[in-house]
Amino acid sequence: MKMETLIGAAAIDSPEEVIQGLLLRSSAKLDKALERVRRPQAAVGVVKSKIGDLLVALSARGIVLNHYIEQSSDVAAALSKLRLQFDPVEDRTVVTAVGEEVDRYLTGAANALRHHVDLTLVGNPFQKKVLDKLEAVPRGALISYQGLGAAIGSASSARAVGNALHNNPVPIYVPCHRVIASDGRIGGYGGGPGRKRQLLRSEGFALGHGAVKVPDNVVWGHRTTQIFCRASCRAVARVGRGRMLFFADQKAARQAGLRPCKICRPD
Amino acid sequence: METWQRLIKRQDFSHSFFCGVLRDMAQPKLPLPLPFEEIMQRHRREIMRYLLRLSSNPEDAADLFQETWLRAYRAYPRLEAEDSVRPWLYTIASNLWRNRARDSARRARVIVPDEKAVPAADLIAKDHRVDHETEGYAAVHLRELIADLPGKQQQALHLRYFAGLDYAEIANAIDCSEESARANVSQAVGKLKKRW
Repeated sequence: MKMETLIGAAAIDSPEEVIQGLLLRSSAKLDKALERVRRPQAAVGVVKSKIGDLLVALSARGIVLNHYIEQSSDVAAALSKLRLQFDPVEDRTVVTAVGEEVDRYLTGAANALRHHVDLTLVGNPFQKKVLDKLEAVPRGALISYQGLGAAIGSASSARAVGNALHNNPVPIYVPCHRVIASDGRIGGYGGGPGRKRQLLRSEGFALGHGAVKVPDNVVWGHRTTQIFCRASCRAVARVGRGRMLFFADQKAARQAGLRPCKICRPD
Repeated sequence: METWQRLIKRQDFSHSFFCGVLRDMAQPKLPLPLPFEEIMQRHRREIMRYLLRLSSNPEDAADLFQETWLRAYRAYPRLEAEDSVRPWLYTIASNLWRNRARDSARRARVIVPDEKAVPAADLIAKDHRVDHETEGYAAVHLRELIADLPGKQQQALHLRYFAGLDYAEIANAIDCSEESARANVSQAVGKLKKRW
């Protein structure tokens, strides 16, 4: 007899009931062991919105991922990053709510974004701190990269702040579009500067198509003195632009509790 | 012939498979890999069978089985979507078995310095082998011969004839070149022929 056939025969008469019994006995134990190391689940789906297609993931704690889709390879990359922390399950119904929230927000509804943010995907503690701090910048105000660095205690780390915002997994919900260069230029954005302008326009900034700087009616507010000035004021030049917040207009600044400067008279 | 048998074994032609195809055509799907439970459902039996063949007793096999799936779960996110799952699982199982065999050999050397003493694992193994009285003598004898082969040849032989992987997949699973996989299998078969 040929050896190959013999080997095949030895394979077939391996005791099937032994395998079955072992499987039965070990599967309960295996399930228990898997339960201990299991990653949390996340519902994922693609949702259409006024700002483009978004890849959204929601965990039990909130929104984990809100990713602009430019091309199909983006989806695969974002998903493989998500899979390191979560077990993704495709679920369109859960994520459509996010699309509706974003759409309403873009038409000017100030408190449309209702989902909590889950920053599990941000592993770097510095970057997490940066993104956490962004909650302090309200709608209608802007901060500079340098200013945001100063707010978390490292004023010279504007570049690192920029990197943190670049890695923001939940744009719009974590408002990284509210961070601009300290000379008033709009700066870059993960979803492209067009989207940044679109978002800022919906928050009350008069930005034309292709604008690279914030408009002239933007006022500069100082966080500690609670005073707001024109961009040309000598007080602004003196305190340094890194410590300033930008407001869409003086009304927004007043709402935030600031008073006009007595030197440049922005009112 | 062999191909369609393998396809049926993989249960790809089930009712739910066709339903899945129809659903996929209706909506564009995210490029998500299969859920891990599905992978386990499909491959647990053959992995158990493989480990039973490799290891000397059922307890070891059950142990390795659990460890294999735990490792697989942990490593699953790093498996690219287009990589095939089956050789990957065999890789994990093979590596675990090899490490376990090496460690227990080392431990046996430390605990039993006496040359004449037979390691306990061998006794159990012998018991296990003569266990199946219903089997033909040929199969039992052959299994003993296979167990005496060097580790790599044994693995290659298992993967080729029992798991039905092709040489490229075997090469992937036991981490060697395709030629070396082919050589290992043919040397194993040659040795079996000579000792038969």
